Amino acid sequence: MTDRNIIELKNITVSFDGDTVLDDLNLSIRDGEFVTFLGASGCGKTTTLRVIAGFITPDNGDVFFDGKRINDLPPHKRNVNTIFQRYALFPHLNIYDNVAFGLKVAKVPKDEIERRVDEMLELVNMKAMKYRKVQTLSGGQQQRVAIARALVNNPRVLLLDEPLAALDYKLRKDMQNELRRIQQTTGITFIFVTHDQEEALSMSDTVVVMNEGKIQQIGSPTDIYNEPKNAFVADFIGESNIIDGVMLEDYKVKLDGREFVCLDKGFRKNEPVDVVIRPEDVDIVPAEKGELTGEVTSNTFKGDYYEMIVDVCGFKWMVQATDETKVGAKIGLIIEPDAIHVMKKSKYSGKFGDYSTFSDEMDQMEEEEEEAELESEATENE
Amino acid sequence: MNKRKGTFGTAALNTPFVVWSAIFIIVPLIFVIYYSFFDQDSGVFTLDHVKYFFGNPSVLKSFGQSVWLSVASTLISLLIAYPFAYFLSKKRPASQRVQMVLVMAPMWMNMVVRTYSWATILEKNGLLNNILESMGLGKINIIGTSGAVILGMVYNYLPYMILPIYTSMSKIGTPLLEAAEDLGCNSFQKLTRVIMPLSLSGVVSGIIMVFVPSISTFYISQAMSDRKILLIGDIIESQITGMWSTGGLNRGAAMSFVLMVIILICTFIMNKYADSDEGGMMI
Repeated sequence: MTDRNIIELKNITVSFDGDTVLDDLNLSIRDGEFVTFLGASGCGKTTTLRVIAGFITPDNGDVFFDGKRINDLPPHKRNVNTIFQRYALFPHLNIYDNVAFGLKVAKVPKDEIERRVDEMLELVNMKAMKYRKVQTLSGGQQQRVAIARALVNNPRVLLLDEPLAALDYKLRKDMQNELRRIQQTTGITFIFVTHDQEEALSMSDTVVVMNEGKIQQIGSPTDIYNEPKNAFVADFIGESNIIDGVMLEDYKVKLDGREFVCLDKGFRKNEPVDVVIRPEDVDIVPAEKGELTGEVTSNTFKGDYYEMIVDVCGFKWMVQATDETKVGAKIGLIIEPDAIHVMKKSKYSGKFGDYSTFSDEMDQMEEEEEEAELESEATENE
Repeated sequence: MNKRKGTFGTAALNTPFVVWSAIFIIVPLIFVIYYSFFDQDSGVFTLDHVKYFFGNPSVLKSFGQSVWLSVASTLISLLIAYPFAYFLSKKRPASQRVQMVLVMAPMWMNMVVRTYSWATILEKNGLLNNILESMGLGKINIIGTSGAVILGMVYNYLPYMILPIYTSMSKIGTPLLEAAEDLGCNSFQKLTRVIMPLSLSGVVSGIIMVFVPSISTFYISQAMSDRKILLIGDIIESQITGMWSTGGLNRGAAMSFVLMVIILICTFIMNKYADSDEGGMMI
């Protein structure tokens, strides 16, 4: 990764039929970086990608590529290639010809095309099948061909639009590693769009969390997880208990009527704040030894840990522990200073981080809804 | 294509079609073949009727004329339909629907009526010549020329060329076109490298759907040429309508049969060019 910016978006605004999809967006991407746009469907992440690719011209603002303004440059003249959500392989061409497509259009000499396509198919492990028809391939194989077809052109930037969404869990994991490996060996800037936070955290150098057409936070995966900027980010990335608190002074925060020592500073005296505590950072002790006490209202076995909902004075906390605790038991909770993260109040305060309505079933329903939305989004874009 | 085991439901749904095909396609076909090879009166097997097609100069001349007129009108239809379908498929969906309705609208009217209207417009004392004359330009003779017959064919069968080409183009979908742009294609390269190969099956269907009715038509040539141009369809028609004259039915059936075989061979060759995976098979 270098310190030079390859792509800069300045004050980008895009609206479709009066709906603002991107709202005054500013973003710089460094050359050689693996950047992920993360957000729920409709947050504007795909639109941002399409602005960079050139399929959407922003209503306002400028797109810079390597310092040059490229607002009016059509997609075929941009040194950028895309891996599309459903791969978009050409059905009338075999694997080899699909990969060779861009080079043939660019009128690269024949023997060079052959060499580069072979190299690329080697990189994605598809060399053995190079004359197969693309319709006969599995999703994972089509994915590899799509990667090869884009990368063979040596783009400066590769755009990936939810490329793993259609793959099953195991294959997705493999492809995540593979994409990371390819990015590191080629040094090409990757801009990856996903709604899967785990995917975003495990692959990227930088994560851009988006919601409602705005960037909520930009940072490294650890920053985003450990230092979320607002309740939206804290809730979207992993599980979070978000509790109303008051910052009494530097390093001292009051929540649920008790004072806690924390590592945060720089707030006004007695400023109301949001306090984030991750479920895995809460220690469980017998009730009489706890800083807070509560009653376990549900307990779900998750394989390598138990996930409990604990009612503390009416606020439902999510707590993760390796030992089982019976439902109905009174337990004590201890929160270490480094487990507490204090955030300024934002418009998302109070909307997230309470598990009183939480159930696994609802989580699943939301996911399905999201997928359905994703589908309709894809068709809308057409 | 999926092969599914026929359940009772699918069988029940299929039955009317099967019965229909048997009565109105298979049985008449058997009659055609029977009358081609067996004498109408004596019932004796003979190749005379089939030979009549190849041995009679006036039949061969009509056949040649049918081939050239239908090839010409198929090509002209293709030249009109392809760019039309291409630009149409780039329009917004709402205007695509409206324009497709307009393409199909003439088909709601009977073909005989429409062809007659053309004949009335173009005839010696018709609308066109009246206008030309009032402008002091003198009359032109259109009815009776090959051009008039080609006009009739193109006018009647153009929608059958537009429909399959438009369908195959709109099936290509935005993602593939965006992928082509993304990989460096300008509009022209997009057309030659993606749209043309992927709409080939539609072109083949369109060619077959225009060529087949054109080569066997008898009505259009009668109306548009004032019976000056005799196509193979006209000869078959006159043989069969005069079928009680000796052997007319036999000769008509034999000519139909030969024509059918020739069309089948052409169709088969055309389909070889279309990617059979794309579902472009048309017989």
